[in-house]
Amino acid sequence: MDIVLRGIVVFVFLYVLMRIVGRRELSSLEPFDIILLVILGDAVQQGLTQDDYSLTGAVLAVGTIAALQVGTSYLNFRFPKLRSVLDGEPLIIVQDGKPIKRNLDRERVTLDDLAEEARKQNIAKLEDIQWAVMETSGEISFIKKSDA
Amino acid sequence: MADVPDRLVLKRHRDLTGVRHRIWIRRALLLALLGFLIAGLVNVFGQRPHGDVVDGAAARFELYAPSHLRGGLLYEARFTISAHRDLKSAALQLSPGWVEGSQLNTIEPSPIGEASRNGDLLLTLGHISAGTTYRLFMQFQINPTNVGWGRRADVTLYDGATKLAHIERQVTIFP
Repeated sequence: MDIVLRGIVVFVFLYVLMRIVGRRELSSLEPFDIILLVILGDAVQQGLTQDDYSLTGAVLAVGTIAALQVGTSYLNFRFPKLRSVLDGEPLIIVQDGKPIKRNLDRERVTLDDLAEEARKQNIAKLEDIQWAVMETSGEISFIKKSDA
Repeated sequence: MADVPDRLVLKRHRDLTGVRHRIWIRRALLLALLGFLIAGLVNVFGQRPHGDVVDGAAARFELYAPSHLRGGLLYEARFTISAHRDLKSAALQLSPGWVEGSQLNTIEPSPIGEASRNGDLLLTLGHISAGTTYRLFMQFQINPTNVGWGRRADVTLYDGATKLAHIERQVTIFP
């Protein structure tokens, strides 16, 4: 029972944490982020299973996390209004070549970050962008003027 | 103006109508997280030890141990008895909260006797000469599944049947 409860607490904590850190942090996976990911996994594991080395314990821990993941996914699917709370909503950050500063600030995205993401999509100039949308995953989608 | 991408609504996804307040919820939650971390820094969740001292006519008795702990933690409790006069048969009586749901890894130096007194743990230390100091170390580890709030973990110093000093304390064990 203890592992299931711990699994629920850890899942809820991580879910809320991922929602509050902002999309900016979710989108990047720089070398330092990978190191953080490993440290995070290790720290969470200690609190989750502690000194339980049993197969039953591992199945309970993984099963709890998986069940909660499916549960939240179902809630997202079944209740669209809940989706905006659980997953957030896309955010328009460039319209007609003009960055929307208020929305960029909200997600702590600088013009340099935006230009870098655009370059990754083979877009040299921000003026060429019709729409740039920060998705709920933190990734930025670009729609060029020529494609719009 | 070019068409807005499908499923996007300018009022909501550009102007943030109806969702503008959410940034404040996010900031409040971040602040709560920060508060939690600060609480950790100032020892709300353990395991920094602190001292309790009782100075009586017969002896000065000091306990140095943490009272806030977490599951799985290794910690030490140090008992220091400075005898003002000869203690013929010093003994420590510990509430069950000391060992409930915990591993008692070692006691150094080993007491000359262990017994139960009214459900408490009684450790007989023996003779302590006037002017000398007796120091007892106990090493514990909290069982990972052990959780407890305000659990009694008193300790009393006796000389034979005579009560010399009593330290009242509670232990909180966080999950």
